[in-house]
Amino acid sequence: MSSLRPSPLRAYGSDPRLSKYNPLARILFYDDFDEGMNGWCELVGNHAGDLRDIRKMALDFRPPQLSTCSYFDIGTHGSMEGTYSLKVATRNQPNHLAVAIKRVTSAATGLVQFETYFAFKAEQVVRDRIGRLPGQRNWDGNAAPSELQFGEVTFSNDICSTDPMSRCHGVVRYRNTDPGGNLVQHWMYPTTVEPTTKMERMGLVKLGHPNQDFFSLAPEDWKPVPNGDQPLCFNETASKVNWHYVRWLFDTETSRNVEFQCNDRVMDLSEIEVPKYDEPYHGLPNLLNFYLAVRTHTNVRNFLYLDSVLVSVDW
Amino acid sequence: MLKRSFTAVLEKNSTFCADFATEPYEVGWATEARWFVNVLEVGESVTLRLTAQVSPDGLYWCDEGSPPMEIDRRGLASMPLANFGPWLRLKGQLLDQPGCVRVLIYLALKE
Repeated sequence: MSSLRPSPLRAYGSDPRLSKYNPLARILFYDDFDEGMNGWCELVGNHAGDLRDIRKMALDFRPPQLSTCSYFDIGTHGSMEGTYSLKVATRNQPNHLAVAIKRVTSAATGLVQFETYFAFKAEQVVRDRIGRLPGQRNWDGNAAPSELQFGEVTFSNDICSTDPMSRCHGVVRYRNTDPGGNLVQHWMYPTTVEPTTKMERMGLVKLGHPNQDFFSLAPEDWKPVPNGDQPLCFNETASKVNWHYVRWLFDTETSRNVEFQCNDRVMDLSEIEVPKYDEPYHGLPNLLNFYLAVRTHTNVRNFLYLDSVLVSVDW
Repeated sequence: MLKRSFTAVLEKNSTFCADFATEPYEVGWATEARWFVNVLEVGESVTLRLTAQVSPDGLYWCDEGSPPMEIDRRGLASMPLANFGPWLRLKGQLLDQPGCVRVLIYLALKE
């Protein structure tokens, strides 16, 4: 399937690091994780110096890691190019979410394109240590039980303009399984805003669902992206890492998503409303943040790996 | 290029009232590390023993071999490490229980 918006330049075709990407006219940043963290760090909830003021659900998003993708059965797998990838890892607690963030601002409004090659895995389970988990009993030698232990991957931005003030999060999530452990394999989008510290402190929202979602007001506030049913290549064993291409285009002029591509599937997001905040936010002019998130539904750690990231703009 | 470094906050204002271990953290790129433990609160009769552990795969762990830190008061303590392999974590034991500790735990890594 071809892109709905075939805008990439081909001037980078001779550079083996960039030729796997399809950047817009200007590359804002290119992050090869063989060269370090490149500014990706742990997201933390707002506070004014006292860590006890951080909302519980935003206290423990975990520091990202530079991973070699090493496993007990094969040793080091390595990344798609080089040795290291960026790894975002949950705890081994149901509903635990890990979030890494990179923060910049916009020099102009217009199209922004996020591209990456990513892989997702549940932590290896050694059977003699914790016994059998769901899916292991009827293992057919092909479908990995580990696949059922992986929850969700979420890509999000955080953009804010001041004239007029408009803040929103464009969010796209791959729901691999639901909290019940059922395979879903569908791209999703939220229908409500990400609840902020300000909303909670001003009493604008009441949260507390045991399965509270950081990216929406309520866990059920998600809808399937049209044409977003897409089984991905988890492969047959938890130590077999296959990298997937992602290209996500959004428009900071209109505060809307444009389209999302994963491998050969291109999803049109232009008609999907992005929830906007009603209340004003101070200190965020030209905000342009990128989030990478992974959530487990079980007591198995979930890992999101990124080989590299390229963000380009049309301004 | 300057040598890279990275500091991870592995426990942020966490309260422990029983033995614990920090989350597995990948450190294969680093040649030196230093644990920093900022004890914000400690029970009156509690001693916190912290032992560095290493792993080849993030699943199986053994002690790294450095002498453990033993802390019975508020404040910052640290432990340097080298030749540690691809994964690190810190094992925490509360001696002379019952009691609790509230801590910040940092892992500072350098090429």
